[in-house]
Amino acid sequence: MKKARSIKKPGVNIDMTPLVDVIMLLLTFFMLVATFKVESTEAIEITLPESAVTDTTKLPEKDIMTMTLTKNGDVFVDVDNFKVREKVFGDALGLGIFHPDSTGKTEYEQTGLVMGKPIKRKMVVMNREQFEKALKELRLELKNQTGGKSDFRLVIKGDSESDYAIMEDLMDIFKATRNTRFALVTEIRSSEPK
Amino acid sequence: MAGGGFDAPDSGSSGLHKQKKYKKGKKVGVRIDMTPMVDVIMLLLTFFILTTTLNTPQIMQINLPKGDESDKVKVDMGDVIYIRVSDKGNAYFSRGLSDGTEAPPEKVEFSNMKAKIESIYAQNPKLLILLKFDRKMKYSMMVDVLDEINKAAIEKRYSFLKMEDADKEIVKNAGG
Repeated sequence: MKKARSIKKPGVNIDMTPLVDVIMLLLTFFMLVATFKVESTEAIEITLPESAVTDTTKLPEKDIMTMTLTKNGDVFVDVDNFKVREKVFGDALGLGIFHPDSTGKTEYEQTGLVMGKPIKRKMVVMNREQFEKALKELRLELKNQTGGKSDFRLVIKGDSESDYAIMEDLMDIFKATRNTRFALVTEIRSSEPK
Repeated sequence: MAGGGFDAPDSGSSGLHKQKKYKKGKKVGVRIDMTPMVDVIMLLLTFFILTTTLNTPQIMQINLPKGDESDKVKVDMGDVIYIRVSDKGNAYFSRGLSDGTEAPPEKVEFSNMKAKIESIYAQNPKLLILLKFDRKMKYSMMVDVLDEINKAAIEKRYSFLKMEDADKEIVKNAGG
């Protein structure tokens, strides 16, 4: 009987189903993580400056308010909470835009583009007063929704080519609106500076 | 030809009965070769792993002083060092003197900024760094300067000040 079997099944059959299961799980995990990151910076292409800070503090996972500074001198305000966005910007995919230099206009107002590309999200153009108000409202709205448990972490993503002037204006606004704790997002420096 | 089922006579269990029935028909079940699928999934997996880990941003925490007038702190000019950065991206250090004036500016390259800050700190551990950046300077310069301060093994006390015309004059006279 043994002989008969070995003739019938020549190779070794490995059941790959558990392997596939695990891999599928890993795949979905990484896909989800990857899309979250893409979503938060969607459509605004900037080059982050590099830094070599030794204590590597990582970006918090959630409840972040992002300010993206572009080289055109625009500031984009975004939060990672759909409901808060819906309330403050009037759209679940709303995105605030603000031009600190009051003598100029945002790129979006001039061309309808963001960093030279069309944008699908609903843009809310703000002046300084509206920007300050939005900062307060965003925080208040999250507190309302979570019963005061969580607060936004303020995070700044600046394009390395943008002028320091935007940062100086923003810091003035942060001081005036008591947003005195914030973080600058940088890329880990891979090589020593020139 | 008909394998196991054929010469397994002894136990009269019902399971065996069924098996016999199946064998009479055709082959049991359909075997799907999963190898190509696993290949593709593995490829996707490596792709996503690579794209997510390669782009890990880090953050630099900054605390501004609260804007209250009552918070104003008097500092001795002797503990102060000004770091002025011109629009061209040149950094100038000038130390405050306790009589209220400041020493002439000294150009400091980024490569030895850390060492310079550390040596000044060693002389005066109460050091307060006042940063004056030109508005036309690039944002990345600011990050670079903060990075140098963060890298230095000192107690970090720094604060941002506006660059006034007088500061621009100082920088200009020192070489721009």
